[in-house]
Amino acid sequence: MSTATSNSYLDNLLQSWQRPPASSWLDQLRANAMDSVGTLRMPSTQDEEWRFTDISPLSRLPYPVAHAAPKVQLSDIKHCYLEEASCRLVFVDGQFVPELSNIADNASAIIGNLSSLLPTGDTIARYLGQLAEFQNDVFTALNTAFLRDSACIIIPKNKSVTTPIHLLFISKQTEVTSYPRCLLIAEAGSNATIIEDYITTEEAPYVTNSVVEMSLANTAHVNHIRVQRDNQQAFHIGNCTVSLAHASQYHSVSITLGAYISRYNLNVILSGEGAECAADGLVLISGRQLADTHTFIDHAKPHGKSRQLHKCIVDGMAHGVFNGKIMVRPHAQLTDSTQLSRNLLLTNKARIDTKPQLEIFADDVKCAHGATVGQLDKEEIFYLKSRGLSELTARNLLTYAFGGEVIDRIPISSLKRQLEEIVLARTQIS
Amino acid sequence: MSAVLQNLVNQPYKHGFVTEIESDIAPKGLNEEIIRLISSKKNEPEWLLAFRLQAYEKWLSMSEPQWQNVNYPKIDYQSISYYSAPKPKKKLASMDEVDPELLRTFEKLGVPMHERAALAGVAVDVIFDSVSVATTYKEKLAEVGIIFCSISEAVQTHPELIKKYLGTVVPVGDNFYAALNSAVFTDGSFCFIPKGVKCPMDLSTYFRINTEESGQFERTLIIAEEGASVSYLEGCTAPKFDTNQLHAAVVELIALDNAEIKYSTVQNWYAGDEKGVGGIYNFVTKRGLAKGVNSRISWTQVETGAAITWKYPSCILRGENSVGEFYSVAVTNNYQQADTGTKMIHIGRNTRSTIISKSISAGYSNSSYRGLVRIAPTAENARNYSQCDSMLIGDQCGANTFPYIQVNNNSAKVEHEASTSKIGEDQLFYFFQRGIGAEEAVSMIINGFCKEVFQQLPMEFAVEATKLLSFKLEGSVG
Repeated sequence: MSTATSNSYLDNLLQSWQRPPASSWLDQLRANAMDSVGTLRMPSTQDEEWRFTDISPLSRLPYPVAHAAPKVQLSDIKHCYLEEASCRLVFVDGQFVPELSNIADNASAIIGNLSSLLPTGDTIARYLGQLAEFQNDVFTALNTAFLRDSACIIIPKNKSVTTPIHLLFISKQTEVTSYPRCLLIAEAGSNATIIEDYITTEEAPYVTNSVVEMSLANTAHVNHIRVQRDNQQAFHIGNCTVSLAHASQYHSVSITLGAYISRYNLNVILSGEGAECAADGLVLISGRQLADTHTFIDHAKPHGKSRQLHKCIVDGMAHGVFNGKIMVRPHAQLTDSTQLSRNLLLTNKARIDTKPQLEIFADDVKCAHGATVGQLDKEEIFYLKSRGLSELTARNLLTYAFGGEVIDRIPISSLKRQLEEIVLARTQIS
Repeated sequence: MSAVLQNLVNQPYKHGFVTEIESDIAPKGLNEEIIRLISSKKNEPEWLLAFRLQAYEKWLSMSEPQWQNVNYPKIDYQSISYYSAPKPKKKLASMDEVDPELLRTFEKLGVPMHERAALAGVAVDVIFDSVSVATTYKEKLAEVGIIFCSISEAVQTHPELIKKYLGTVVPVGDNFYAALNSAVFTDGSFCFIPKGVKCPMDLSTYFRINTEESGQFERTLIIAEEGASVSYLEGCTAPKFDTNQLHAAVVELIALDNAEIKYSTVQNWYAGDEKGVGGIYNFVTKRGLAKGVNSRISWTQVETGAAITWKYPSCILRGENSVGEFYSVAVTNNYQQADTGTKMIHIGRNTRSTIISKSISAGYSNSSYRGLVRIAPTAENARNYSQCDSMLIGDQCGANTFPYIQVNNNSAKVEHEASTSKIGEDQLFYFFQRGIGAEEAVSMIINGFCKEVFQQLPMEFAVEATKLLSFKLEGSVG
C-alpha cells in the first residue's frame, strides 16, 4: 500500500471531523484521540501485526462517517431478535435508535445510551476510553475521535442480570463508516451475559469500526458472545479490550461469518490474581473473504487461568488468519493456560496463516498450545460411510460438527439455533 | 524455586584462552578496497571478486533487521577487522608442519587433529579465525571421490563446482548478514560427495575465533550428488574478550535425487560473563535445498554458547517425497539471548518435515523459538509435525514461541504443539527419595528432556553435548 493512499484515507476522515470546544471530558477525549490519529498511519502488510491482512482496499474507500440514522423496518430485523433477551439496545450505523430498543425497567442494572447515562454520575467518565488505548492503534483512535453514541452497561455490586443483554448493531447505509461502541462495567460480584451482534440489511460495501471495553471487578462474571454477520462486501474492524480483576471470570465466544475483510482484536488482561478467561472463536468463510483474528491474553498476576479454542473453516478462495498470543509476565506464577488453533481447509484454493504464540517469563507455569491445519480425516469419513452415510453426507456432517463444537459453548439457545442453521446452510455441499 | 534448585550454572568457560599466534590482520573497516584485498590475498578468480562486490553493493542498500526478539547495541561494521589469518602462512604438506602453538590450542580444545584421531574416525577441517589451517584424511576421502577441503582451496582446485553452486541456496542479497558474508567471507569448508557414494566417515569442521575485534565470516558449501550421503559435524569456540565479536556465517546444503545430508552443530562460542559482558554475536544463515526426489536434509543443533544466537537452519523441500528435519536444543544462561528455529518450505509433492525443538532458559536469559512452516499450493499431501518444548529454570528468564504456519493446500496436514514446564519439586523429590543428589537429578531430568534431539547426534557429539549441558547448568539449580 502506498503511503499516499493511506494518508489520503486518514486526511479525508480528519477533514470531516470538527474539533469540539473541549468543554467536557468527553470532548477532551475525542480531541486527544484525534491528535493520536494525526500521529498514526494506516497499517500495511509491512507491519508484523498486519502481515497477512492487506487492508489497502479499505484505504481506497473514503467512506464518510454515517450521521443520521435512517429508518429501519422492524420486519427487516425481527428475525435477529432473541427471545431470551428481554433487554435490547439497537444501533443503526452506530446511532442509537430508542424506538427499536427495549430497556426494560431492569432493577439490577443501569443500561442505556451514553448520552442518557452521562448525567447519572462520573462512573462512565472514569472508564470510557481507558481500556481501549488509542495511542497506538489508528482504528481505536478513529472510533474514539468519532465517538457519539455508545452502549453503556453498569452492573452494580453483587447484582445478577439473569437474561442476556442484546446489543444489535445494524448497518443500513452503504458506503459509509460507522463507529459502534460499547462499555461494560461489571462491579464486584456481579453477573451478566452480553451479546454483541452485527447485522446488515443491505448488499453493498460499508465499513464498521467498533470498539468494546469491558471492566470486570473482583469475582465478577461475564459471558460475552460476539456475532459478526456482515455482508460479503463489507469491511469490519473490531477491537475489544477486557480487564479482569481478582477471581473474575470472562467467557467469550466470537463467531465470524461475514465481511469481505474483517479483523477482530481481542485483548484480555488478567490484572488480578486468580482471574479466569475463556476465549473461543469460530470463523466460517468462503468466496474471497478474509477473516483475521488476533487475540492477546495477558497473564499479569499469579494463579490466572485461560483456555482458548479457535477454529477456522475456510471454503472457496477465502483466507483465514489467526494470531493468538499468550503472555505470562514475570511473577505470574501458577498460571495455567492452553490454546488450540484448529483449521479446516475445504478447497485447495483456501488458505490459512496461523501463529499461536507463547511468551513466558515465569517458571512455575503450565502453558501449552497447539495448532493443526488439514482437511477432513479420511478415517472419520470412512467410519461414517461404513455406517451407511453417503460420502457427501459424511463430509457435511463432519464439517458441521467441526464448527458445532464452538457454537455449543454459547449459553443462549435461541442464538445457538440461529447460528447452527447458518453453519448448516453454509457447510452443506449438495 | 527451592533452595536446592538455585545453585547449579556457573562453570567457567573452559575454551576462553587466547592463543599467542602472530596473525596477519587486515585493517579495520569495510569498503571495496578491503574486499579486493581479501580476494587478492586468496588469489581468487575474477568471477568470485565480482560475486563479492555484487554482494557488497546489495549490503550497502540493506538495513539491519529489527524484528527479532533480541536486544544488542548497534554494531559498528567499520570497527571490525574482516580478515585475520595465523602467520606464517605457507602451504602445509603434512600435519607436522602446523604451528605447534596452534596444535597445542586444538589439543586443549580436544579436537583430534593428529594421526591418533584415527581412533575417533572423523575427518576434520580446522578453521582458525578466518582461515582453514588443516584438513585431515583428505587422501582417504579422495579415494572414493569425495572432495573435502577448505573453500578457498576448492576455489583454486575445483572452481567449476564452486561457480555452479555458490549462492544458489542463499542468494547474495538474501538478508543483511548473508550479504555481508557473501562480500567478505574468508574461508570455510567445502564438501562434495559424488554420485552414489556414501561417505565412509563423519566429516567435521572446527571453528575458532582467536583475535579480538575480528569477525568470523565463514562459508560452508556441501553438495551431495544423486544417491550420495554424508554426515557433517560442526563445532565452535572462542576466547574470552570483553568486547562482542560478530560471527556471520552462511551454510548452504544441496541434496540431489535420493541424496541425504545430515548436518550437526555443537555451538559453544564464548557467551559473555555472568553480567553479560562480551561474547559472540552468532548471526548465521543456514539453508538446505532438497532439490532431488527422495532427498533428505537433517539439521541437528545444540546451541549452548554465544551472547546472542540468531539463526534458523532451513529446508527448502523442492523434490518430490523429500524430507526435512530439524532437531534443536538451545540452552541459555545468565544474559544470553537466543532466537532460533527453522523454516520448512514445502514445494514438492508428498514432502514431509519434522521439527523438534527444546529450549532451556536459566538466569536472566531469554530464548525464543521462531519457526515457519509454509505449504505452497503445489505441495500436495505435504505433512509437518512440530513440537516445541521449553523449560524454565528460575523466575527471571523467559521462553517464547512464535510458530508461523502458512498453508496454501488443503491436502496438507500440519500439526504444531508446544509446552512450557519447569523442573518440578515432585520430580526432584522422587530422585532424592532414591538417594540421587540434586545436581545429578537435574542433569538426568534435563537429559531426558533433550533425549529426542541427542539421539540424532553422532555418538561422540552426543557425549560432548550431554557434558556441555551439565557444565552449562551447573550452579543454576540447587
